[in-house]
Amino acid sequence: MAAVLPLLPERQRAAPRPALLWALGVAAVAACAVTAALASVNEELYQPAVRVLLVWWVTLPYIFAGIVAWRRRPDSFFGPLMIFAGFVTQLSVLQWTSQPLLNTVGQLCDLLVAAVWLHLFLAYPSGRLAGRRPERVVVIMAYIAALGLQIVILLLGGFNDLHLLTVVKRQAAAEALQNVQLLTLSALALVGVALLWWRWRSLPWWLRRRPAQILINCFSLTLVMLAALLTAGTFQLPGFEIIRLATFTAAGLTPLAFLAGLLDARLAKAGVGELLVQLRTDPARDLEELLAQALRDPTLSLIYWLPQYGSWADQDGNPRALPAPDSDHRVTFVKQNGEQIAALVYDAALGDEPELVEAVSAAAGIALENGRLEAELRARLQELQGSRSRVVEAQQNERRRLERNLHDGAQQRLVALALELGRLAEQANNDPATQDRLKRARSEVAESLDELRDIARGLHPAVVSGHGLAVALESLAAATPLEVQLKTAGLPRLPEQLEVAAYYVVSEGLTNAVKHAQANRVTVNVGVSEETLIVEIVDDGIGGADSERGTGLRGLADRVEALNGRLRVWSSAGKGTRVRAEMPCA
Amino acid sequence: MRVAIAEDSVLLREGVAQLLTDADIEVTARCGTADELLTRVAEDLPDAVIVDIRLPPTHTDEGMQAALTIRRRYPEIGVLVLSQYVEVALAMQLLADSAEGVGYLLKDRVSEVKEFIAALRRVADGGSALDPTIVSTMLKRHRSSDPLDSLTPREREVLELMATGASNAGIADAMVITQRAAEKYVSTIFTKLGIPATGSESRRVLAVLLFLRS
Repeated sequence: MAAVLPLLPERQRAAPRPALLWALGVAAVAACAVTAALASVNEELYQPAVRVLLVWWVTLPYIFAGIVAWRRRPDSFFGPLMIFAGFVTQLSVLQWTSQPLLNTVGQLCDLLVAAVWLHLFLAYPSGRLAGRRPERVVVIMAYIAALGLQIVILLLGGFNDLHLLTVVKRQAAAEALQNVQLLTLSALALVGVALLWWRWRSLPWWLRRRPAQILINCFSLTLVMLAALLTAGTFQLPGFEIIRLATFTAAGLTPLAFLAGLLDARLAKAGVGELLVQLRTDPARDLEELLAQALRDPTLSLIYWLPQYGSWADQDGNPRALPAPDSDHRVTFVKQNGEQIAALVYDAALGDEPELVEAVSAAAGIALENGRLEAELRARLQELQGSRSRVVEAQQNERRRLERNLHDGAQQRLVALALELGRLAEQANNDPATQDRLKRARSEVAESLDELRDIARGLHPAVVSGHGLAVALESLAAATPLEVQLKTAGLPRLPEQLEVAAYYVVSEGLTNAVKHAQANRVTVNVGVSEETLIVEIVDDGIGGADSERGTGLRGLADRVEALNGRLRVWSSAGKGTRVRAEMPCA
Repeated sequence: MRVAIAEDSVLLREGVAQLLTDADIEVTARCGTADELLTRVAEDLPDAVIVDIRLPPTHTDEGMQAALTIRRRYPEIGVLVLSQYVEVALAMQLLADSAEGVGYLLKDRVSEVKEFIAALRRVADGGSALDPTIVSTMLKRHRSSDPLDSLTPREREVLELMATGASNAGIADAMVITQRAAEKYVSTIFTKLGIPATGSESRRVLAVLLFLRS
């Protein structure tokens, strides 16, 4: 393999420690207890029991779904983000106490949860916003509105006197600013809905799956309700409490839909059974295609790890690189007996169903191992091919160099010598003996020149490099004592390697027709079709040529194969000989 | 007569120049590259140029291109192309439009001083000079129902001389016959091969070549 890619798989993010997850779970429960306690001592709270239940409803599902998601998809930030959203809600509850410091924290977090939700929904499924500019802008603006403006409002002495941040008392300004804040956040929530739907629409059909669809619906519903709630809060519309109830209900549904999606992905493993059946009944089928079908991702590619080359390769043995970590494709590595043998590269949107990917790759285990061996074999063949063509190329370069040296050296000197002898003969006296010796010397030189010419021409057909294949073949045809019909119409100039190989194919084919085939007529067709140079020589001779026996034809086959082409000879007795070479031009 | 030479081997270039000087031919330019030749020819028009087919920088077809350019730009200048190899296809390219004032010879021919000078003069005078190997190569081709088969050995000899550009006088000299006998041979050959007789000697070169190639 020409390019060795020392590419080792990205290390996957380690799963969080169970102790941490347990601690988070316990903290969530404890926080809920604190919420209940705070509600019970706060006398101003309207419908305290309902408020507590609502807070639990938007806290516990988030934190527990987040814990499950984090444990199962350590790569994704979605789990931690969900946990964060749950605890932020809990923190905002602290405003129910009159203890100044805790109350300040609670008031700071009052609207933060709206921004975190927006962040969470727009970052689905990876939990990251990298490479998604509009989403990023919306989320950053939401954080500025929810937290930045909140700080300013508190500094202006907004809301009440329970917090510690009041610097100046500007009630009117604080209220105006609060209206701006609420309207901004509600507008951003609506923009978020638009972005969600725009992204959904732009997904290819095969990625628009049902669980994801339900989840996107939940996100959208929550955001729309949030916008309504914030607007209602701004204008103090009636029915605020009912809208709050509906908003929190919708928000709490989201993590449940997410969990249902995880369950559905597990159920989808049932489709793996079908894959197993197909692998067994039709082992020769394209594995990549089968896997693409099983995972419903037409862009899926299957690459194999070739330890000897320290490189990844496709099933034909061509070097392949793993996708970059921030690309829109993800990788799942397939291991067998502790060694990685292959990797599935699939659309990042499938990243929310890693169980399915893993189940599919496990099911394909044996077939993958076979595929890897095959890829390795192909890579070796390619390597062999490469070294063979390098040998042929080096040989050809050397022969061309020798021909050049002969032409510029010995041949020129001999011509100069012949010229000098010619001049001598002109000027010498008319002594017959001298003239005779000069004449003999001149014919010696002429013969040497003829021999050198043959040698040089055998080394390298300079006319091919100098004037192109069509011209060279025309001369070749003209020099063949047979009726040669040559068709080279529309033949472009090609790389020298190809032109020379084609020249030798025709030359050998014509020689064969003259010497062995007892042919009367030969047709030579040379042309380029679909990026392939096709050379065909057909004679009407006795046939019986054999590319294995005749060294001429065997040597030709080597030359053609070294250029990734192939040479075929049809030569049944009495039916003439057809030699056909096909060489890729690219 | 005035002649410009383009040949990258100094040894050969000086040898040819010497040869021409010996024959009282003025050498107007001695060039090593095709570009130099084109420049010098433009400055001082010679009667003929001698061009090596392989010239720097790539040693592929620079000389050939220069020859074709001169033929196109200055039809009155005779162009004699020299090469280590002669190729039928290149001969046909050189003579594509007409065989007037053009020659294509193996480099070896410079040793036959008299013949070489004669060929050069012929080319400068608007005649032609084709290397005998080209003609004999083309004659070797076998055709089914070949009209060439109807020629006698003497007539074939005349055909070869004619195709190399020899005049009737030249043919008579070479075959040690009278000029009238040579003329008679020529017209018999034309009749046998079915080539319409043409007046000028260079036009009949082309006619014979085209016949041989068909």
